[in-house]
Amino acid sequence: MAGPVIEVRGLTKHYEDIRAVDGIDFEVQPGEIFSLLGPNGAGKTTTVEILEGLRDPTAGEARVFGEDVRTAYRRIRERVGVLPQDFEPFDRLRPREAVGYWGRLFDRTLTKGEISDVIETVGLSSRADTFAMNLSGGEKRRLGIAMSLVGRPELLFLDEPTTGLDPGARREMWSLIRALKAKGTTILLTTHYLEEAEHLADDVAIMNHGKIVVRGPPSALISRHGGGTTIVLVGVGREGLSAVAARGIPADLRGSDLFVHVAMANDVRTMLAKLASIDVAPTEIYTKRATLEDVFLKVVGTRMQEGVLAE
Amino acid sequence: MKRILADVRAFGSQYIRSRVGTFFALAFPVILILLFGSIFSQSGSPQIPLYVQDLDDTQTSQLFLSALNNTTVVAYRAMPVDVDFQEYIRANTINVALKIPAGFEADVVRAQTGDPDVRTNVTLAGDVTQSSYGIVASAVNAVATEFNLRLAGARPVVGMTQAPVSFRQLGYIDLFLPGIIGFTVLTTPLFGMTNVCAEYRTRRFFKLLATTKLSKSEWLAAKVVFYVLLMFLSVAIMLVVGVIVFSTKTVLTPMAALLIIAGTLEFTSLGMVLGIFVRDPETGAAVANAIGFPMMFLAGSFFPLDVMPPFLQTIARGLPLTYINEGLRATMVIGNESTAFTNLLVTTAFALVFFVVAARGLSWKSK
Repeated sequence: MAGPVIEVRGLTKHYEDIRAVDGIDFEVQPGEIFSLLGPNGAGKTTTVEILEGLRDPTAGEARVFGEDVRTAYRRIRERVGVLPQDFEPFDRLRPREAVGYWGRLFDRTLTKGEISDVIETVGLSSRADTFAMNLSGGEKRRLGIAMSLVGRPELLFLDEPTTGLDPGARREMWSLIRALKAKGTTILLTTHYLEEAEHLADDVAIMNHGKIVVRGPPSALISRHGGGTTIVLVGVGREGLSAVAARGIPADLRGSDLFVHVAMANDVRTMLAKLASIDVAPTEIYTKRATLEDVFLKVVGTRMQEGVLAE
Repeated sequence: MKRILADVRAFGSQYIRSRVGTFFALAFPVILILLFGSIFSQSGSPQIPLYVQDLDDTQTSQLFLSALNNTTVVAYRAMPVDVDFQEYIRANTINVALKIPAGFEADVVRAQTGDPDVRTNVTLAGDVTQSSYGIVASAVNAVATEFNLRLAGARPVVGMTQAPVSFRQLGYIDLFLPGIIGFTVLTTPLFGMTNVCAEYRTRRFFKLLATTKLSKSEWLAAKVVFYVLLMFLSVAIMLVVGVIVFSTKTVLTPMAALLIIAGTLEFTSLGMVLGIFVRDPETGAAVANAIGFPMMFLAGSFFPLDVMPPFLQTIARGLPLTYINEGLRATMVIGNESTAFTNLLVTTAFALVFFVVAARGLSWKSK
């Protein structure tokens, strides 16, 4: 495909005096994982639901496969799979039945073999004949992804697919998302887990208060906003800070730990050698690479935990 | 069409697997039939027990009692002659009792021989507020009048010819079954759909469905198809139970089948209309109860409209279930197809209005 899969220009959604989405722009290229990142209430789900044809925008333009979502959604949805936020399956259908049912709602009659393949793709084969109400949270999300795949979508919307999952189930979900990308599926992923976006996304847009505050590939964002590597000297206190400052090395003291920032990766060894020559006695030394969390802290001004901004 | 059938199958599987839904759709009407049928279907018309203290005990008093018995309204029970009439009634909690005085035959003979001053009274005792008392009083009066005419040698001028409105000998269950079918056509889809809409909204199933090619009208049509199939299964079970247990003669006519289809469309759609306004299953149940319960009683599911006060009959004329009940009774009991057809037209009109309002009013999109 020549053009972008998704194009958003000046997209706006107002609820009375609340600006849920406030004039955002972005585009998603074929085959990439694009992540909308931000705390709860940032406008991620509203944006995705507009793109899914489930909400009408107040203003602006949203196009999927080059077509306006307001007027052409009937055509668009044949090429799109959706895992909504807080997906719940039908309690008294088994995964095998649910996948077959969902296929027929897309005018596809799946053979038993095709149903088994879809279920195997999401790693639910051993639970294919269990009533959905008896599946775990992670298994239910997997079933949701299986249902979203039956129409053989070129574009997949995954709205907070790992929220509420334990770390193990979250990692398994990441593997599944990577596998889908490897098959050429374009994925729009919303999440409030910074680590998730960093691991999975080719392109990230951080949203806050309905606006995109920063956008780009995770590595570029980190190098632009978070920067390089931090060397941490544990337990050196004010004495250590004075000794390091005397050598002209800028550092921050947080508690009794000293943080020395190194902008370029190539300079880390040189800086470690300099620090080793100073007469301080840390209990431990470690290096810490900058993450999207640092980017988020810098551009939003506060940290985020489980989708909620820290006070 | 494939999408509708797929939804019927998936929804049906879930419904049947939910034992509560299956109980109320299939077992509950049968329980009602067994319960009410056992209470009211003893042997055709009920007879009122009448205790009689015959202090005369002559051929004439026996003739009077025999005439009373022939009315088929009362069932004769003898009261001992050596007890106090009033005391015995109180002690045995008797509703209606009759006392024939000593000298009854002698007074009748004197009247026959031309004594103009003679008069004899039988005494009827009981609770005058009870309908059974009024029925027995009418029967006793009728027999007394007949006696008087014969004593006077008069010939009855005004008589009565009976013209049965039914071609079959009907019992209570035959009249009751169409009402229970109407009741089921109301409750199962109405309560079910209101609850389904609330659950689908709360659990975001509508949003999920909106991402597929299934349209709202197709979804609603699938629910109508499912409930029609369920209703026919339920009616079949009711009729089988009616035949086996109560030997009912009620049959499912083609017109009744059409009324059941139209009625199911009507109440499935009405349930969805209510579902437009309810936000959670608890509210859904309350709203469905508030509308369904008065309707099932006022629309004549359990007793005919004729026994209601006129103002309630006027209200009943505005209730959609009234036309289903009346139509079903007309075709299944009396065999009056033209009346049933009129009721079918009214039901279909209601159904189409509700369907259009439901399909247009329920939104799967968020605002």
